[in-house]
Amino acid sequence: MAIPKKAFENQVIDLLGRMHGVARRLTRNDADAEDLVAETVARAWRALDTLEHEAAFRGWIFKILHNTFLDECRRRGARPQFEPFGCEEPEEGEVQFSIFEQMHQPFLLWFSNPEQEFLDKILRDDLDRALATLPEHYRIVVILSDLEEFSYNEIATTLAVPVGTVRSRLARARGALQKILWQQARDIGLSAAPPARHECEDGKADTPRPPTARQALRAKKDSMS
Amino acid sequence: MTKHEIACKQALDQLFEFIDQELPEDRRDEMQHHLHTCKSCFSRFEFERRLKEKLGGLGKGEPSSGIRDRITKLLSRL
Repeated sequence: MAIPKKAFENQVIDLLGRMHGVARRLTRNDADAEDLVAETVARAWRALDTLEHEAAFRGWIFKILHNTFLDECRRRGARPQFEPFGCEEPEEGEVQFSIFEQMHQPFLLWFSNPEQEFLDKILRDDLDRALATLPEHYRIVVILSDLEEFSYNEIATTLAVPVGTVRSRLARARGALQKILWQQARDIGLSAAPPARHECEDGKADTPRPPTARQALRAKKDSMS
Repeated sequence: MTKHEIACKQALDQLFEFIDQELPEDRRDEMQHHLHTCKSCFSRFEFERRLKEKLGGLGKGEPSSGIRDRITKLLSRL
């Protein structure tokens, strides 16, 4: 279906802020982001016949944007962080990293709502930095789901993968994002006393070591200051 | 357990799908019932929901005048 040029222009202008935002987060570079958006618009215009109906415009043009980004990565031969989507099934018993779980160490529950306090303190810049640190194959699903509010079906269409892959990749991506956020928070002293960790005797598991009384009292005192 | 009751593990397994509004209606009802009756899962739900909300705030930005001008010119040449 070809839509009139005016409708194409209106859609592009309406989505420009979103497209530029996603492009900046994919390329992590303003100049490359502008080039990516421009190339996407030019390609979209040339591929207008592949748009099935105007209501599908958003998913259609974001798919072109993502493919254009991947083509550029391939052209440059630089995809150190990229892993293509494959057939991914969640592993039995697989547990993702969770800030909530980290904060629900028994001694931290002395505080009223540590996880809510954490959310109150993290800033837009902290989230931006954590997102930028994620590998591309994780970053794109978080961007499409949490920033652009795409449904799982829309993400699957945009990335040309099964919905089950979107679901499992999103779970892993959120775990990875929370791990980065948690490390950042610890680095700048945002989170309360981090749980001390040690290896179990079998060397396989890594479980929290209960804090000493002195550590617990220090954590409580810090939270009150 | 009644037909509406699910265990915490099941609730946590489908928590993100619930927050993302991807659960079918019957499982959504089960989750809502569980979250009304389980303080621990509700706290986790609130945390994940607020974190998603904060991330959502990153997506709302105006394009710079530079990119707007560039794309406007490009569109006029198509």
